[in-house]
Amino acid sequence: MLAPQRRPRSSSTRSMTPSASRRARLYKALFENRTPRRGSGGIVGPQDWLLYPALIAVLATLVLATDLPLPFGWDLPEPVWPVALAFAWPLIRPSFIAPILLGLMGLFLDYFWGAPLGFYVIGLMAVHAATLIIRSYIVGQDTWVVIGAYTLAVLLFFALGVIMTTLDSGVVPRLISVFEQMLATWCLVVVVLILLERFLNSDVRFN
Amino acid sequence: MRYGDNQPFEHLKLPITWGVMILVAAICVVAALLFLGDRRGGLDAAAYGNRAGFDRAAAKSNNLLSSPAHFVSDRTNGIEDYFFAVSENRVLKQKIVELERYRDDYRKAKELNRRYEVLLNLRTEPEVESVSARSVSVSRGPFNNNRLIDAGSSRGLAFGNPVINEHGLVGRVVGVSPDVSRVLMVTDVVSRVPVMVARTDARAMMVGDGGGFPRLEFVRGGPDVLKKGDQILTSGDGGIFPRGLPVGEARRGVDGVWRVDLYTNRGPVDLVKVMKFKDFSQLPHAEEVLRTPLVTDVLPPPPPTAAGTAQSTSASNATVSASGTAVSSAATSANSASVARPRPTPVSSPAAQTPRPQSVPAPEAPASASSASVSGG
Repeated sequence: MLAPQRRPRSSSTRSMTPSASRRARLYKALFENRTPRRGSGGIVGPQDWLLYPALIAVLATLVLATDLPLPFGWDLPEPVWPVALAFAWPLIRPSFIAPILLGLMGLFLDYFWGAPLGFYVIGLMAVHAATLIIRSYIVGQDTWVVIGAYTLAVLLFFALGVIMTTLDSGVVPRLISVFEQMLATWCLVVVVLILLERFLNSDVRFN
Repeated sequence: MRYGDNQPFEHLKLPITWGVMILVAAICVVAALLFLGDRRGGLDAAAYGNRAGFDRAAAKSNNLLSSPAHFVSDRTNGIEDYFFAVSENRVLKQKIVELERYRDDYRKAKELNRRYEVLLNLRTEPEVESVSARSVSVSRGPFNNNRLIDAGSSRGLAFGNPVINEHGLVGRVVGVSPDVSRVLMVTDVVSRVPVMVARTDARAMMVGDGGGFPRLEFVRGGPDVLKKGDQILTSGDGGIFPRGLPVGEARRGVDGVWRVDLYTNRGPVDLVKVMKFKDFSQLPHAEEVLRTPLVTDVLPPPPPTAAGTAQSTSASNATVSASGTAVSSAATSANSASVARPRPTPVSSPAAQTPRPQSVPAPEAPASASSASVSGG
């Protein structure tokens, strides 16, 4: 019995990347004057690109703060998860909900990590505002440009943290420790790229 | 006139980016006001009030996460102990032989110390009750270093209680709720711990900077008071921490600054012990405790026949009241051997039941010298 033969794919479809495929699907939806849909058929609402990532960031912060004794005297890393969101959200789309969520997450970090109130809120807002200003230069650029901009955003956040800590306590925090947490936070560039890949062109209303 | 010509601002819309920027600026202003109103320099119990509820919720969630991990870790350690029991048994037997010698020396020194305390009428610090707790959450970043532990005011903890583990000093309690307490680690940027060098009795201030090796600042004494490997203890100055808690060893950092290699870096800070030690500011009659009686209140006036001797005696007695070291006491006894006088009576106040501040000894009489004279005597 012969196996059912597959229809040969055209060369243009075979070479299409997932992002381009999604974009083509969206343009087709726009052309047909219907609601743009994702693969599963839903639209991209604020909960998709704002609320759920924020909850995941809070949950990840809670999990990584667990006091687990690891071998060789190691500790769990402690990245500042909301920094990735503060950078990615304005690139996806300027939103009024995003800074409010970031402010709430900053307050959560202030309470949870025992920082003075407003410490993390100011840092996150600075990253958000800076990214919003340079948004038009970043969107559509190569991945390396996004990574470079994220690196600058992380530097801005931790430079502000060092300045505010020095103002608050009169002591300059140990720069090696600052670099360690900066590195852990920079590694979240993967999260930024995933968010951009998933949401940047997923809804024509974002363009 | 066409419709809409009298509405010149109809098509003028605020761009969303501008609106978001205005919102961001407003949140920044609020955050800056919060930041300026919540400085951590003056840590006190009242400032923690609005964080207690949050810490209770956070500690519960972290306890749920850490409990299974600790369960697995304990079982893994049990299996490891089973397989390495023989070699560990050999090592422990050797250690027992070594420690028995130290135990005998300790008993002799303790008995000798007790006699000197009685002889010199010293008021020693009473035993401090302690509570064990488990660390459930930790913040170990460069800007904040603190922990949540699963014991609170329901078990008698209070603001300022020192926290130690099996290695040494961990920090102090800066916030208490019924079930949970927040511990400020000695590595936090706002932590200041008065310490002393065990070898030279030199005083210093240990200043946290967010790393694992706090700085030693304001080191008093000459250039040789601090060497690599010197043991650092709490000095008890200021009454925040009791005297003599082990902290770490002195190291010189790559930047040339003296730092403390904390004993608590030797293992995970998992189980901790909170000492119910009250600093002097919390005592009900702090002013009465801290009031030192005048020498003329406890000693009779000098006899009129030996005016010169009396002057030197009162000067020596002042030294005794100020320093309280064994060496000064011995010198006083030697100088005033010919003068018959009653022993100074202890102050009858609640102070007798509470720890006293350990005053700084004179530079010419370091603790090492005094201990040498005591053990030699």
